Amino acid sequence: MNILILGIGQSLRGDDAAGLEAVQLWQAQHPDSAAQVQVELSELPGLALLDLLEGMDAAILVDAVQSSASAGTVICLGPDELASFTPDAGSAHGWSVAETLQLGRLLVPSLANCRVTLIGIAGGQFGMGAGLSPKVRAALEKVADMVEREIQNYLK
Amino acid sequence: MKTIEVAALARVEGEGGLYIGVKDGQVVEIRLDIYEPPRFFEGFLVGRYLQEVPDITARICGICPVAYQMSSVTALEKALDVEVSPQVYALRRLMYCGEYIESHALHIYLLQAPDLLGQPSALDLAAIVPDVVKNALRMKKIGNDVLKAIGGRSVHPVNACVGGFYRWPDVAPLKALLPELEWGLEAAKETVRWSLTLPYPDLEIDYEFVAIHHPEEYGVMHGDAWSSKGSKTSVADYEMRYFEEHVQRSNALHGHTSYGGTYLVGPLARLNLNHAQLLPAAQKALKDAKLKLPLKNPFKSLIARAVELVHFYEEAIQLIKAYQLDGPSHLALKLKAGEGCGMSEAPRGLLYHRYKIDEQGMVKFAKIVPPTAQNLPRIEADLFALAPKLVKMEQDVATLTAEHLVRAYDPCISCATHFLKLKIKEVVHVKA
Repeated sequence: MNILILGIGQSLRGDDAAGLEAVQLWQAQHPDSAAQVQVELSELPGLALLDLLEGMDAAILVDAVQSSASAGTVICLGPDELASFTPDAGSAHGWSVAETLQLGRLLVPSLANCRVTLIGIAGGQFGMGAGLSPKVRAALEKVADMVEREIQNYLK
Repeated sequence: MKTIEVAALARVEGEGGLYIGVKDGQVVEIRLDIYEPPRFFEGFLVGRYLQEVPDITARICGICPVAYQMSSVTALEKALDVEVSPQVYALRRLMYCGEYIESHALHIYLLQAPDLLGQPSALDLAAIVPDVVKNALRMKKIGNDVLKAIGGRSVHPVNACVGGFYRWPDVAPLKALLPELEWGLEAAKETVRWSLTLPYPDLEIDYEFVAIHHPEEYGVMHGDAWSSKGSKTSVADYEMRYFEEHVQRSNALHGHTSYGGTYLVGPLARLNLNHAQLLPAAQKALKDAKLKLPLKNPFKSLIARAVELVHFYEEAIQLIKAYQLDGPSHLALKLKAGEGCGMSEAPRGLLYHRYKIDEQGMVKFAKIVPPTAQNLPRIEADLFALAPKLVKMEQDVATLTAEHLVRAYDPCISCATHFLKLKIKEVVHVKA
């Protein structure tokens, strides 16, 4: 089974780096699991997300999200919930994950066979500079555990 | 007085807004406001070792990192009085082909075509013509794959350095790209034919076109800056004829010529000045299109990009077929104090760099003149030219038409200094 674990975020925009750091933490804690899957870190995957998903049976995307929930809140969206996302008409130079997945559903029939899960971490501050806010950093362990649980569900 | 405000422009790179003031049926003020924060690259390059420059400046833009790498390495090589081998030069051109392919395919199909076909976004376009968008993504991916084969990754590639490349890319992954490039060449020819069927708004502007010209190749990295007004300016004299000035309302500088005029850089300028240097398949595509040159309609820059797509697929195929590992991939540099300037044609226009370095190769001064900064005054002037039509339109149509024009330029506001969410606000001031 081909599984992709993708950490997404900009390392120099505060809590936006949460996805990157959570995947790195999981990788360090679970090297045996990491060896069985494809691990990628991407600052801004944009349309290249479709290429990364090519040939995958499952993908777990870990990304910071802007949410009304308090910083550090972790949400998990399964394929059905992601499919109902209606992205804003936005920038094509900076395609969002939701937009790209929607484009993929329109254009790449094989993507229908790939189970995409998004683990989102609500950020508190997305300003310039590296470093997570304390509440977001405190959530990384929980996210790493969730990534591992999802993988084990697939690898059973 | 009525105002049209687009608080944040969409489908462009970077953050900017548009303001059009209308009074008594006349457009009285047009401003392209750039509020993307200043990036300070020129400042933090100072004190860095010269070999850091190509990889730092590449981070100015995710769409045209190769342009920043190439303009910086040519400037720094000039400062050191070194000239790279023909093999290095050819590989640099191949890398540039990859960038043109990915950038042009993105702009033609995903950024500008939705406007011309009356669709709010590429997603909506994909819903009605999925095969067109699917082919566009395939075309774009080929460009990114070229970048990855040479520079290790498809965005912000590394490997280019002052004096050449850190290592020669392996032959096999490059040759493996040939079938897709051959497919892309045919798709690009079809793109030209398709581009001629699109409904372009009427607008003819008497531009001063400026582009790098070289008699023996399509101007990208070598040659002088030619102007359609007749001037031929060497890279060393570039700052004698082309200036930048600070505009208080904008975080981007505005470019103008030494006599205060506006000028246009980018695909229209290149095609109009350099069509004789296009490779045969692109020449044929242009001839079959039966276009009258110079093209003066900014919306038709899409056609110029389509012809350039043919050229750069064709050139990429030639360069890969000829590619062989030969000699050292980079020169051993002898450091010395010096100053040098370099220019290259980013997909959206001429990009100029100048550096001063000390005897340890540390940067003492850096100047970067991006294409969008040079085009900003011209975009505002074009909006004024469009104004008589804009004032007769419903406000929402006028706003959209003005946005289309700005997007046709493929402006990179991040380079000059991103359209996220569109807000239209009408303010009517009533006299007491």
